Amino acid sequence: MSLLELKNISKIYGELKALDNINLSVDNGEWVAIMGPSGSGKSTMMNIIGCMDKPSMGEVLLDGVDIARESAKNLTAIRRDKIGLIFQQFHLVNYLTAVENVMVAQYYHSIPDEKEAMEALERVGLAERARHLPSQLSGGEQQRVCIARALINHPEIVLADEPTGNLDEANENIVLDLFHQLHEEHTTLIVVTHDPEVAEVAQRTITLDHGRIKSDLINENFGK
Amino acid sequence: MFIRMIRGAFARQWKKMLVIALTIMLGTSLATAMINVMLDVGDKVNQELKTYGANITVLPKSVSVMSDLYEMEGGGEDSGSYLLESELGNIKTIFWAFNIVDFTPFIDASVTLPDGESVPLVGTWFNHHLDLPTGESLDAGLKTLRTWWDVDQGEWIDEQVEGTPENAVMIGTVLAEREGISVGDTIHVQGPVKDADLVVQGIFDAGGDEDSQIFAQLDLAQELSDLDGYLNKIEVSALTTPDNELAEKAAKDPKSLTIAQYELWYCTAYVSSICYQIQEAITDSVAAPVRQVADSEGAILEKTQLLMVLITILSLIGSALGITNLVTASVMERSSEIGLFKAIGAKDSSISGLVLTEIIITGVVGAVAGYFLGFGFAQIIGHTVFNSSIEMKPFVIPIVAVLMLAVTLAGSIPAIRMLLRLRPAEVLHGR
Repeated sequence: MSLLELKNISKIYGELKALDNINLSVDNGEWVAIMGPSGSGKSTMMNIIGCMDKPSMGEVLLDGVDIARESAKNLTAIRRDKIGLIFQQFHLVNYLTAVENVMVAQYYHSIPDEKEAMEALERVGLAERARHLPSQLSGGEQQRVCIARALINHPEIVLADEPTGNLDEANENIVLDLFHQLHEEHTTLIVVTHDPEVAEVAQRTITLDHGRIKSDLINENFGK
Repeated sequence: MFIRMIRGAFARQWKKMLVIALTIMLGTSLATAMINVMLDVGDKVNQELKTYGANITVLPKSVSVMSDLYEMEGGGEDSGSYLLESELGNIKTIFWAFNIVDFTPFIDASVTLPDGESVPLVGTWFNHHLDLPTGESLDAGLKTLRTWWDVDQGEWIDEQVEGTPENAVMIGTVLAEREGISVGDTIHVQGPVKDADLVVQGIFDAGGDEDSQIFAQLDLAQELSDLDGYLNKIEVSALTTPDNELAEKAAKDPKSLTIAQYELWYCTAYVSSICYQIQEAITDSVAAPVRQVADSEGAILEKTQLLMVLITILSLIGSALGITNLVTASVMERSSEIGLFKAIGAKDSSISGLVLTEIIITGVVGAVAGYFLGFGFAQIIGHTVFNSSIEMKPFVIPIVAVLMLAVTLAGSIPAIRMLLRLRPAEVLHGR
């Protein structure tokens, strides 16, 4: 069953078509990589799927609800309840500790629970760094805090924008291992990346070019 | 979590918050100082204006009626009706006794100089000590009621200084020049019933009709006219509250007031109320405000208060503009953080609440500091302008608090609007 369905989606900025009549379906628990060169429309698609932007045309069905027609208030609620966001730049609040950064997502979702936030950090291997400020953490550690924050409210779909773009190889592997774990737990993963190695480990790779889907391939070696 | 976020924001942005607090402090201090001075300025301006002479004259009833009938300025003072010197002390027994700061009696006589010229001679107190019926005592007289007199030569007569001759007089500078009189000279004058030799102790410049007159001690003038114990006029200097509609209505006819209005009027230091009470204390007298002085008091007070209201409004506008710039800069600096909060599902109201809480906490700190600074400013203004301290009125605190809250919130509106328009996709992905 499709968790996410994009029907004839276009996004137009003036005369530029960032997305041009995109049709895409993502099943529940699927791990999808979206690739493409700069300007191909990856981030635009990410913003639309993440309820942070609306398409100029078309339908975006998330759990059967057309989010393209929802109000800003409802989109905020959908982001809060159904989507976990992972950013290339991490976007941690620099005056809060690692555990507090995770609790911020809980605070805006429901009730902050420090024990649960600590468990999320433990899961990404950062329990001992929980009281550190972002400035005291390495890039890989900051990205893991970002992943813990994205997962804390048990989202239906995790959107990762260039999650390994600022990481070295060792940290990249740690993050990809975490994605494997999430996939095994049937979390739907959509990963936007430039990196073919990151795309290769996904279940399915969609390549965008000039706002259109150039290819949509299933990774035959996935899970092997 | 909310407290941690507020604490974190303060720790990170303490310099910016300090500048916002300083802006609010400055606005609050000016508003506090101006409002306190404005509320106290009535009494202060009144006290200040008291140095420009009496604001109430008391005349015998018949003289006042004649004066009203024929519209004569001080007319009919020689009509044969007098006030009683023995009742002078009663003035300090009225309900508003403490507001009577000075008074002095006058008796007019006309004397003839050796060259045959007739000159007005005024008997009065200069610095007279009076024991009141209440057991208290008072020093009153022309010396404090005519502070603008410039004694060019010699000195003021002071009845309390031992050895001051009973026939000591002060004469106006015009008369002194015309007659070639100097300090220390003795002038022989012929009074209505008696002659006397007067010793000139001082020559003054009053800048008016008084420069052609002789001012003698009350007893001597009464003796020359054979009017022992009688007075033509009393001038009173009183601290008064500016007139309003009630005071104007009462001044026309106190009987037209309701009982409640009468009590309010009687127990307020309106000039008409004080006049009414003086009339009750002095037999067959009419006390009337010197309109020129009373009107000047009102006009000066009104203009001073208007000036202070304008300064207060301008300072509040200045604060609001300062707050607008600073808070907008703060929100711009934190756009990535605010974008993140929105991206992870924060409602606009939650983020606005967070930013407003930070601003209000900063505002409260600034306002409290500003209130005490304003207290200091008010005292500086009080001592510099009025030579006395300004009383701090407790009800100024809520007024200033409401004003500063309104200014802080108004100043934050552009920043909050900007915050609400901020789209997470733009700040997080640059799209």
